Amino acid sequence: MNLIPWRQKRRREQSGLRPASPLARLHDEMQALFDRFAELTAGWPTDFPLAGAPLLPMNVAETSSHVTVTLELPGVDPADVDISVTGDLLTVRGEKKLDREEKKQDYHLVERRFGSFERTVRLPSTVNPDRIDATFKNGVLTISIEKRSDVAARKIKVRNA
Amino acid sequence: MATETSLQKRETPLAQTEPVRSGPIYIPAVDIVEKDDSLLLFADMPGVRAEDLDIKYERGTLTLYGKVEPRQDAQKTTYWLKEYGVGDFCRTFEVGEGIDAAKITAEFKDGVLTVHLPKAQELMPRKITVKTG
Repeated sequence: MNLIPWRQKRRREQSGLRPASPLARLHDEMQALFDRFAELTAGWPTDFPLAGAPLLPMNVAETSSHVTVTLELPGVDPADVDISVTGDLLTVRGEKKLDREEKKQDYHLVERRFGSFERTVRLPSTVNPDRIDATFKNGVLTISIEKRSDVAARKIKVRNA
Repeated sequence: MATETSLQKRETPLAQTEPVRSGPIYIPAVDIVEKDDSLLLFADMPGVRAEDLDIKYERGTLTLYGKVEPRQDAQKTTYWLKEYGVGDFCRTFEVGEGIDAAKITAEFKDGVLTVHLPKAQELMPRKITVKTG
């Protein structure tokens, strides 16, 4: 992250001069803060949600023929999952119900999450929302959307007017 | 109360317990519930096939390992969103002596592994009948 244009930063570093105006000094301090944060987090894995993890993590992958949305829903009854398309919005909602009766129980460890979930993703114009297939296997929901066949690049001829 | 029926998370490196495959290994989310006669362990392992599960009990250590096949051909796929990683699951637990290890059973359904760990007979609550003379 860099808030100062590169050339300007170089020039300042070379001269070793501190900017005179208090505002410029504040700017520099803020810059140093951002730089330090960037250094600090440089080695952190980027695929690991540090904060504000979405309730229902989703992977969206594209191949030459399909766009595939996969969601991990272990322990969810497929009958409790509702998939709908409105315009270009694909919505997955459902509920993960507690898989045991809860009475007179002593919990040693509680890490799994239960409850309702909902997630919406905007589909690109290259897919055909009428050609959607959804499967559920071993706790993984796979929604496969066919791409439109008429989106291949076309050549447009420029004619003389 | 720390009884012998406890099931402790083990903090040892995961790589020690299993031959390491390339790629990341994930720790499954687990619930452990104590019932009168057993401990129940639930582990979320989405994407694992039942035949790719490897559950081992050895010298007081319970190891859960689930092999996960890649969901897409990485060569031919572009990811727009990658909010979770896909890889094998592995987690180990230390099982107390109050568990009857010979009777541990497991089942797998819809990505959830359930392990039943029955308590040893001598630790089960017993009702003592009072004889009248």
